[in-house]
Amino acid sequence: MSDERSFEELQRELEDIVARLERGDVAVDEAIAFFRRGEELYRTCVARLQGAELRIEELTASDTD
Amino acid sequence: MPKVEPILYGDRKVFTVSSFNRGVASYLGKLPSVWVEGEVTELRRNEAWATVFVTLKDPTTGAILKVTIGRRTFDRLELALEEGETVHVSGRAELYELKGELGLRATTIERIGLGGHLLALERLKRKLAAEGLFAPARKRPLPRLPRAIGILTGADAAARGDLVATIGTRFPAGKVVVCETRVQGKGAPAAIIAALAALAAHPEVDVIVLARGGGSFEDLLPFSNEAVVRAVAATSVPVVSAVGHEQDTPLCDLAADARAATPTAAGALVVPDLSELNIALESSRRRLALAVRNALERDAERLERLGVRLRAAPRLLLERRRAGLDHTGARLQTLSPLATLDRGYAVVRAGVVALRDASAVSVGDRLEIELASGSLGAAVEEVRP
Repeated sequence: MSDERSFEELQRELEDIVARLERGDVAVDEAIAFFRRGEELYRTCVARLQGAELRIEELTASDTD
Repeated sequence: MPKVEPILYGDRKVFTVSSFNRGVASYLGKLPSVWVEGEVTELRRNEAWATVFVTLKDPTTGAILKVTIGRRTFDRLELALEEGETVHVSGRAELYELKGELGLRATTIERIGLGGHLLALERLKRKLAAEGLFAPARKRPLPRLPRAIGILTGADAAARGDLVATIGTRFPAGKVVVCETRVQGKGAPAAIIAALAALAAHPEVDVIVLARGGGSFEDLLPFSNEAVVRAVAATSVPVVSAVGHEQDTPLCDLAADARAATPTAAGALVVPDLSELNIALESSRRRLALAVRNALERDAERLERLGVRLRAAPRLLLERRRAGLDHTGARLQTLSPLATLDRGYAVVRAGVVALRDASAVSVGDRLEIELASGSLGAAVEEVRP
């Protein structure tokens, strides 16, 4: 599964999942699903860091003169 | 030269335009020589002319002053002046009689020196500081992990290269948006302000780095320009200033949210280190596993407790029933007339009816007296109703 979101968003979701599980406000079957999702996010994040190359965009400002 | 003499129309003294102008000119000529500071907006020098014409502008108000200086005097100064430069001009007020125009006849022109610039900068710095533009309370924290890093840079390959390389090494999953613009000379302030606005308007840019390598004092002046400094302070996302070398302190450094001595240091400020990220990720994963195990254990414990309670339930029910029964028995006891008899009372019956009224019987009637233990047969000897 490829996720178009930024690394930061993925990492934030992972941290949210961990926080919810730690608070213990999830049902058992849900907890397993959360765990799986968290593992997947972790792997995606790690892969992003390993395979990534900095994206560079050039911007031109509308210079007035 | 004709003298300034009025024409008389009866009592009225009337001056010709020329004589009026000459009069004012000679009056102005008595004023002392002064120094005037201004920005060169126009410079006209022609080999055929004896005079060089310079227009000075007050950058704050836009006020204009025409300056003239002898061409030879001007050439001897070897200034190579350009438009947009700030100069000090020494001279006297002068009226150009033919046109009635006020000007300054210069004896010398000096490009505002380092000392002058420093003083001007110091003045601006105090003014902006007094406005609170540099106050620590204004500084915004840098984003922990920006979606994109805006880079404002000149055609300075080194500064840009260092910054991009640092960001790429520390945080390869990142993104940079580079806006290359003019950063020195005339027009640089406007270009820098436009570039800042363009970067801030980019939907992903969460932080902007001003990446300008070292340069001469004059080269870095646009980064101390009042409009630029104000624009830096007013930018909608945090700004990191990495302008010049460590010893330079352009005013935009003070207005920015963070300052970096070098582009490399700026890179380290705007993105976390890869190893730190990995540590954070590993920690998340450990906590994830621990949290899910704890969640499952908590559930198992809850289930266990439920089981214990379930198995205990029938016995508990029985005990509760028994307790209730005992209670009812006790209450029954207290209601029993036998308990009253125990306390020494007796029930007197005439026949089967319990006797409540003495007049219900007559002398000689048989009575049955029931005690707590046993009973007595008796006869009425006297009735006292």
